Amino acid sequence: MMIIFIILPIFSWSVVVANLNVANLNGLKAQFQTAIKSFSDISSLHYTLAGIKELGVQLPDSYCDNINKLVDKSNVESIYHATEASKTLVNCKLPAEDYRAILTAVLQSEDSKTAEIYFAVRSSVNLGLTVDESKIEKRLNLLAKTDDSVVSQGYALLTGAQLSQTIAKSYADTINDLVQQADEIDGSILQYEGGIGATALIFNAFYEVAEKAGVPVKIDSKQLIKFATYFSSKRHVATLRSAYYLTKIFKHLSDNKNQVPVVVSRISPSAISPQNPSVLVSVTNILGQPVGEMSVVAESAKRKEDGVVVISKQKLISKASDFSVYELPFYDTKIPRGFYTIHLTLTARNEGKLIGLTDNMIDVKVTSEGSIENVELTVSDRDNTAQAKTYKLSYPNGQTDKLELDYHQKLTIKFQIKDKQSGEFVRVQQAFLRFTNKKSNKEIIYLAEPSDGANSQYKVEVDLITNANDFRHQSDTYEVVLILGDSLLQTAYEWKLNNNVQLTFHEDSLADKDHQKLYLPRPEIIHQFREDEKRPPNVVSLVFSALTALPLLVLLILWLKLGFNLAGLPLGLSPLGFHISHAAVFALMFFYWKCLNMFQTVRYLALVSIPLFLFGHRVLSTLAARREKKV
Amino acid sequence: MSQLGQVAGILGKLNNEYQTTTPKKLKLIDAYLVYVLLTGIVQFAYCLLVGTFPFNSFLSGFISTVGCFILGASLRIQLNKANQSTFNVSPERAFADFVFAHVILHLVVVNFIG
Repeated sequence: MMIIFIILPIFSWSVVVANLNVANLNGLKAQFQTAIKSFSDISSLHYTLAGIKELGVQLPDSYCDNINKLVDKSNVESIYHATEASKTLVNCKLPAEDYRAILTAVLQSEDSKTAEIYFAVRSSVNLGLTVDESKIEKRLNLLAKTDDSVVSQGYALLTGAQLSQTIAKSYADTINDLVQQADEIDGSILQYEGGIGATALIFNAFYEVAEKAGVPVKIDSKQLIKFATYFSSKRHVATLRSAYYLTKIFKHLSDNKNQVPVVVSRISPSAISPQNPSVLVSVTNILGQPVGEMSVVAESAKRKEDGVVVISKQKLISKASDFSVYELPFYDTKIPRGFYTIHLTLTARNEGKLIGLTDNMIDVKVTSEGSIENVELTVSDRDNTAQAKTYKLSYPNGQTDKLELDYHQKLTIKFQIKDKQSGEFVRVQQAFLRFTNKKSNKEIIYLAEPSDGANSQYKVEVDLITNANDFRHQSDTYEVVLILGDSLLQTAYEWKLNNNVQLTFHEDSLADKDHQKLYLPRPEIIHQFREDEKRPPNVVSLVFSALTALPLLVLLILWLKLGFNLAGLPLGLSPLGFHISHAAVFALMFFYWKCLNMFQTVRYLALVSIPLFLFGHRVLSTLAARREKKV
Repeated sequence: MSQLGQVAGILGKLNNEYQTTTPKKLKLIDAYLVYVLLTGIVQFAYCLLVGTFPFNSFLSGFISTVGCFILGASLRIQLNKANQSTFNVSPERAFADFVFAHVILHLVVVNFIG
């Protein structure tokens, strides 16, 4: 069993609240550059060419041939992609006459969806064809009544952006309604149903239509940041379409004529130590570009576990000439170890359209150096700890002598970990004792548990009878190593206590469990029906039934011998009635056995017992009278 | 040997006394009791030899014999003139009780016999 443990301190931990990050432009660029090597269809060509142009790369006109080859002249969407792609190249003119008929047909047709209307309008504009704006506006209004999905509304905005400024303005006024239809996740992200593809298309539409209308995009700054958080969280997108729209959105979000969200992130390592005493913070826009001179103040730095505030209203020092990096000296021997959250507020020197200046949180941790103290290795008898041999060890020296343990002994290791700065004994997240079989390299690991209270003494005990099964009773030479690690400890420890420990177990060694076999199919379980009880052969049962009837004969014989007084049997209605009802009771019992249930039987019994009682009473009183007479 | 002889002598004397002093009615009941006893023994022997399946049937049969024996014995006690002082019931009343108890016993037995 090989367990691999991370023994270096963990440097990052998951952030619960989604943060605004700098966009992964390199990733997007790489995605476009890979796509440009081969095309499968016109839409990929469009998005790749357009996307890579947004990122500042101009492609040669040779791609014009690809456009003409891939376009499907009968499909309006294909035409749209073709015209868009041709616009990115310097000199690629598509023959407008080839497409005029299709485009007009789509615009006239009653069945065209909003997306198709957009494709037709945009293609016409790209090709220089005129469109009937009022008709299109009417068509869009009709479609808005039947199809109110957010994507359709997005396409309507995009179409509006192709028409006159007044029409565009009327659409720009609906942006806020569309924003209200977005879904909020965890209070920090806004997105639309349909994921990144739909959200990116719609969000981009806001900007396009607002630009045509000549008005700023009216979105509440908090909501804009939530959208921006959503987009910046998409480090990789699957489709080229999403990649293209995402690129456009990042450019819109860093354009100074719109609201620009500010990205504040830590660029120094998360662990604060004497070697790394300051927190470095970068302040940029979403594309990673500087946003001008700022005053950055750390409002507070609170420790996560108990809210202790260690820094208050401290101004950060500007470190870069373009005002994009700021420094906060943090390390101080008086600051205890722990996880800290720093709350930063920014104030811009030039009142621009920067948003997201307040409520920026940075997480850091202050680690400390530890030392392993009071290490004791004890070999003692299982039953009486009187015979114990204790060795005191000090890190990093292990034992050099061979240690031999057999099955009536146990090994105990005790130690404490001290924080060098504060002098108190601390608990760590990982404290293990590892035995490694030197022949087979099998590892057996035990957990060291701390005692309660302030002195946190760790103890781990390995008993050669109780724990023998962990070792599979394999009596061999083992290496004993102590492993300690914690995220707030500056260094982790892997200390070889003894290289030569001979363990001898009582029973024969068992083979190691073959873990490969655990996941193979197990033997099939076949359902076993309950076996019938063993019954004797019918003959035996019949013989014994006859035997049971035999004593009846004996009884008759005895009664005859004794002189059964049948002569004194009274005759008449009452005795007859008595005997009949008596027999009826027995018959009822027979029927009860055969087919009746208790309720029916009791009812019949009640019925029969009436005559039984009456006749019996009469017979018995007759007999009593006769007896009295005799006497 | 002498012990066995003594026992045989005692038994013989007991038998004589029984035959002479016991009234006929009681002897009839005794015969009935012997019959019930034999039936019980046969049932028990079957159970020992062959096994307890079906257990409920064996129990109900056996308890039927036991119950009948007890009721018969109590009838005998009540009818014995020597016990007139303790039990002040007429023979007819004893017999009626006997029948009534038997009805209930048989109801339970048949219920349990399965």
